[in-house]
Amino acid sequence: MMKKIETSDDKWEIGGKTLSSRLLIGSALYPSPANMEDAIKISGSQIVTVSLRRQAAGGNEGTGGNQFWDIIKSMGIEVLPNTAGSHSAKEAITTAQMAREVFGTNWIKLEVIGDQYNLQPDPFETVKAAEILIKDGFEVFPYTTDDLVVAKRLADAGCKILMPWGSMIGSGKGLMNPDNLIAIRKQFPDLQLVVDAGIGKPSHATQAMELGYDGVLLNSAIALAQDPVKMADAFRVAVVAGRLGYEAGTMKERAFASPSTPTVGTPFWHQFD
Amino acid sequence: MHIGIAGVGLVGRVLALNLLRQGHTLTLFDEDIAYGDKAAGMTAAGMLAVFAELESAESVIFDHGNRSIALWPDLLAQVDCAEAYQQKGSIITAHPQDYNELDHFIETLKSKVEEASQIKLLDRRELTELEPDLSQHAKAFFIPQEGQVDAQHFMQASSDYLLANSDVTWNQNVKVKDISEGSIELEETSEVFDWVFDARGLGANAQVKDLRGVRGEVIWLDAPEVNITRPTRMLHPRYKIYIVPRPNNRYVIGATEIESEDKSPVSVRSSLELLSALYSMHSGFAEARIVKMLTNCRPTLRDNLPQIIHGQKMTRINGLYRHGYLLAPAIVEKALNEGINK
Repeated sequence: MMKKIETSDDKWEIGGKTLSSRLLIGSALYPSPANMEDAIKISGSQIVTVSLRRQAAGGNEGTGGNQFWDIIKSMGIEVLPNTAGSHSAKEAITTAQMAREVFGTNWIKLEVIGDQYNLQPDPFETVKAAEILIKDGFEVFPYTTDDLVVAKRLADAGCKILMPWGSMIGSGKGLMNPDNLIAIRKQFPDLQLVVDAGIGKPSHATQAMELGYDGVLLNSAIALAQDPVKMADAFRVAVVAGRLGYEAGTMKERAFASPSTPTVGTPFWHQFD
Repeated sequence: MHIGIAGVGLVGRVLALNLLRQGHTLTLFDEDIAYGDKAAGMTAAGMLAVFAELESAESVIFDHGNRSIALWPDLLAQVDCAEAYQQKGSIITAHPQDYNELDHFIETLKSKVEEASQIKLLDRRELTELEPDLSQHAKAFFIPQEGQVDAQHFMQASSDYLLANSDVTWNQNVKVKDISEGSIELEETSEVFDWVFDARGLGANAQVKDLRGVRGEVIWLDAPEVNITRPTRMLHPRYKIYIVPRPNNRYVIGATEIESEDKSPVSVRSSLELLSALYSMHSGFAEARIVKMLTNCRPTLRDNLPQIIHGQKMTRINGLYRHGYLLAPAIVEKALNEGINK
């Protein structure tokens, strides 16, 4: 295994917790729970999302609860339950309340789907659910599109965290519209911003971090890789690279070439090589 | 030898058939009745998908799967249901907008076993020759090595065979608490044997560490308008399904995979997913009749791989997960060779 690149002084606060990893990772689609555990460990991620609705609540016949959830709980990192599969504010709120009981956390990734085919979030129901959940004491991590006005409405509702998409869930297309993501970053310098969904390869995560986003959330890109554990390692490094790049301050793009070595003194017959 | 087997599901039966051939006397224990439906092997579709299952499994499945395919015909002949075996290949297809899934599938297989590079991609004409009813699909993989066991036929025939065998005593409706060296512990008493096997699947929950149930749901259909003759899978980013043909235009449609030990009936969501994916494969399914919907839980360990543990006079086999029919003969053979026959 390669040497771990640390950014020891880089801490961030999200949902009232101080963490050092800016990679949030999903728990679905891995070849096995053992493989998932290895991947999450290597990724260095300190927040794992888990779907409540798809994994029906509880066991029956006295088996005492859901083993898969126990595996996730036993990993000793923050659990971020999500409301995936909800199509209305009401469903999302019910799922959130169930999640609070099952996982003993007030964190909730709010995900209300508005279109069954491309799983695009429903902004109206998401805002409605966010208002109610925040009043009910939840720390809401809303999954939203890259629409600035929706972001504003969520912020007005009291969200301290916004999670705009890079592109459609599971599409692996990367950041479809970086300009929109930049606009949200500029508008909300004090909110925690996480790019959620659409990340397909490590360079996408780096790009999101270079934009000044506080974190990235992804699942398929790691779980569906031929070697999820190695891909998790790749994403760990990619997120660190992007964050360091942002902190270091990237140079500005220029409209024309500017050589780093002066051309003065170069023999004229070489100037146009 | 006099041998005790706790659990008469798929693994218990394959064990019994092997041990009877070796001339042993058997006493079986199961909490269900002989023709009951609690065992995961009763719900299974019985696919022998040695390649296709590799998409989300480790390559060890491939070796065991190939060995099992070689062993199944003799086991089925032993219980007089040779016709429950079919090996004429399987089809993997996807809708045009999801062709990336086919690419991902084959690349993943190739990264796991070399043999996957021989899998043939069919165009519409070649596919139509093999399966005329799938002619609406323009692209599919054909895997000639794959097949199926008619699971319910095997379970029925093996019950008949074991009940009729004078070397077998089958204690039905009896709950086994645990096994220990040469002994099977029941609620009140224990029985002593020369060797004992634990094949209880999820019934061994209290003794096998990290054992969990993974819920699966299947739908049985009678579809007179559909003539698909080989196990067929449709890849989709969300709704993967397989169609396993049984005699007389009956089809077993599966199977969801839900991380839960919940055995309650099929949910509306799952049936919508399975049936709409199915209808998109072949419109003839619209007029099919739903015979039944079944739910069960697959006994699974943390790495989703089978586990064999030996003592001095005991062997535990568990964790066959979604690969029961694909793995049972090979895993049982391995367990016998490394344990009682050593």
